[in-house]
Amino acid sequence: MTDCDVVIVGSGPGGATTAEVLTRAGWSVVILEKGRNHLLDLTPPFASRRHFANDEVAATRRHLLGPDPLLEPRTYRRDETDGERILVGEVNNLPSTVGGGGVHADAKLPRFREEDFHLRSTRGPMPGAAVEDWPVQYDDLEAHYAAVEISFGVAGEAGTNPFAAPRRNDFPMPPGPDMPMAVVSAAAAQRAGFHPYRAPSGVNSVPYDGRRACMDCGFCGGYGCPIEAKGDPVAALRRALITGRCELRPEAFVTDVLRRADGRRATGVRYLDLTGYPTPPVREVHAREAVVLACGAFETPRLLLRTGLGGDLVGRFLTNHFQTFTVGIFPEPTGGERGRSVTHLHDDLMIDTPALRAAAQSAGLPWLRGGVVEHGSGPGPIDEASTYSAGADHLEAMTNSALRRRIWAFTMQGEDLPQAHNRLDLDPSVRDAWGFPAGRVTYAPHAHERAASAYAAPLHEAIMRDAGAQAAFSATSPPQGDLTLQATLGPLGIAPSSRHVMGTARMGTDPATSVVSPEQRLWEVDNVLVCDSSVFVTSAGYNPTLTLAALAHRAATLLSGGKS
Amino acid sequence: MTPIFDDDARATIATAMDAQVPGAAALGSVEYVEQLLTALDHDPPHLWAAPGDWAGEGPAWLELGPWERQAWTQRLGDVRAVYQRVIEGEATPADERIVHAHACEATYGDPAYGGNRHGGGWQRIGFPEPLFPPTRAPQ
Repeated sequence: MTDCDVVIVGSGPGGATTAEVLTRAGWSVVILEKGRNHLLDLTPPFASRRHFANDEVAATRRHLLGPDPLLEPRTYRRDETDGERILVGEVNNLPSTVGGGGVHADAKLPRFREEDFHLRSTRGPMPGAAVEDWPVQYDDLEAHYAAVEISFGVAGEAGTNPFAAPRRNDFPMPPGPDMPMAVVSAAAAQRAGFHPYRAPSGVNSVPYDGRRACMDCGFCGGYGCPIEAKGDPVAALRRALITGRCELRPEAFVTDVLRRADGRRATGVRYLDLTGYPTPPVREVHAREAVVLACGAFETPRLLLRTGLGGDLVGRFLTNHFQTFTVGIFPEPTGGERGRSVTHLHDDLMIDTPALRAAAQSAGLPWLRGGVVEHGSGPGPIDEASTYSAGADHLEAMTNSALRRRIWAFTMQGEDLPQAHNRLDLDPSVRDAWGFPAGRVTYAPHAHERAASAYAAPLHEAIMRDAGAQAAFSATSPPQGDLTLQATLGPLGIAPSSRHVMGTARMGTDPATSVVSPEQRLWEVDNVLVCDSSVFVTSAGYNPTLTLAALAHRAATLLSGGKS
Repeated sequence: MTPIFDDDARATIATAMDAQVPGAAALGSVEYVEQLLTALDHDPPHLWAAPGDWAGEGPAWLELGPWERQAWTQRLGDVRAVYQRVIEGEATPADERIVHAHACEATYGDPAYGGNRHGGGWQRIGFPEPLFPPTRAPQ
């Protein structure tokens, strides 16, 4: 007796894309999502629930998008010398809600470049890091990138980024309006020899797919979209639901993967129905064909570790993107209160150049890669106010508003090299509200990341000053150096905060060195697929969502018998 | 909203709030704290304001799930203890950080939550009125 062809764990961009592909192929799916549903009605026509507003309190202070750290604590340490942990609470959390990470993101959706899939071959090994080629190359993914861009609705401008990988189709939408200060910072970057371009964004620049165009309300990164102009969290999910072959169950916390007696084939999952309290009922979903894990690179390995699936490498090679923020303080307001947070990027520090080679050599490294650099605005007023100290100077600081109205920032999503000791495992004593071990992150950047950051920071500070900044400085996430009280209380915290979590169930061609096959199937139970950023072999230096969704699109296409 | 602290306690909290963010009390920071501490007395709880009139008819506050309610019961119990120590003059540095956070939220958060009276916190820093605000009770 089965309930569906495939049960999918997680409703974010990976799970939603998988559901869309499978239901279009005529398969039935059940999606289990541990978070609450703030996104869309679960009956036709699957309209917006209209739970999202321009509300800094709910979104950033009161855990509207989940997870609540009191229910689902995470722990963190830099390495084993820190002891069992140095932090309990939020560690690089993505939303736990229907739509997953797509809900909060400001939806920058660049593709990876060709080189990102074979870094080992093009750049060579890196001492102390496990840099390997992916078993899937850009050409294998190009059609899937294009399909996901259409599904989510990506606005962009082909041909303006000289480093972009080739693409067969134009973007589904033209780019939206430029943020005024991004035009200024892009011009300064150009004067420095860089090649800025309009960011590919999963934000409607025109009405698209029955959803409205963005109105540049300014509450983008970190917020659910009030008018569904961001396609990532909702578009694929709604299309899957409309087929009538997709059932979505929120508040369903999967605890186990059910297997046949010989352990070689999965038959479904067991979950806690969190609508029940204080003892949530235990339920099961039985699937004819496959179990797809799409819980993200934190929760997927946590589930695998809990169930003993996947082998010894599960959780290892965790990458986060080592972020370098270069902040410019300008004499006049930068206009960041409206717009889509980020409208321009540049990629130059991903490219092999004599200057980067020289920087690598002086750092004692064989090569160096930075990451995509976002030209973006500052925080909301509560976050700004929380940054300033208390007392008489507080109002003057808020009025001058160096860190909100007059700020402009470059965020480099620095490529984070995989290291076996950077990992997600199960905390030995901290548990969640249901008694399961919390996920524990052990993470410290490689010398490569620190060197790339040190190289990029002064370049970007100079660009900021050329753009008119009175002052410019840089910081990283996670912070480096001693754990002072100030660092502990800083707005970015002491743990990685990129929200880009990757690489904890890496794909490969050898079961001895990977967790999943090139088709994203667990080696030991091959009808369990992983369709999220866990499978990344390297982190590249680009926002991961479009690539994880393209991989999910490919894996689901192969699963349902289509051409890859 | 019915005050939950007596006048002396409210004055003490107001002073503590103003020490963190000058002018916070005049903008409703004590009311913000009282609304937070009584949030679970309402159904739905007054914790997450639902979108406003621009979104059409709907509830003014969003429902919490049962586990979220458990977490907030614990959290608000801890917050209540913080303000009790503030009232008794025994606030710790950690307590003061929480008061600071609440003073910032009360001054610059949406008026739906009881602070930022008539948007005065935003006006004094030139922050523009949101295009898609949550539902706000009359102030």
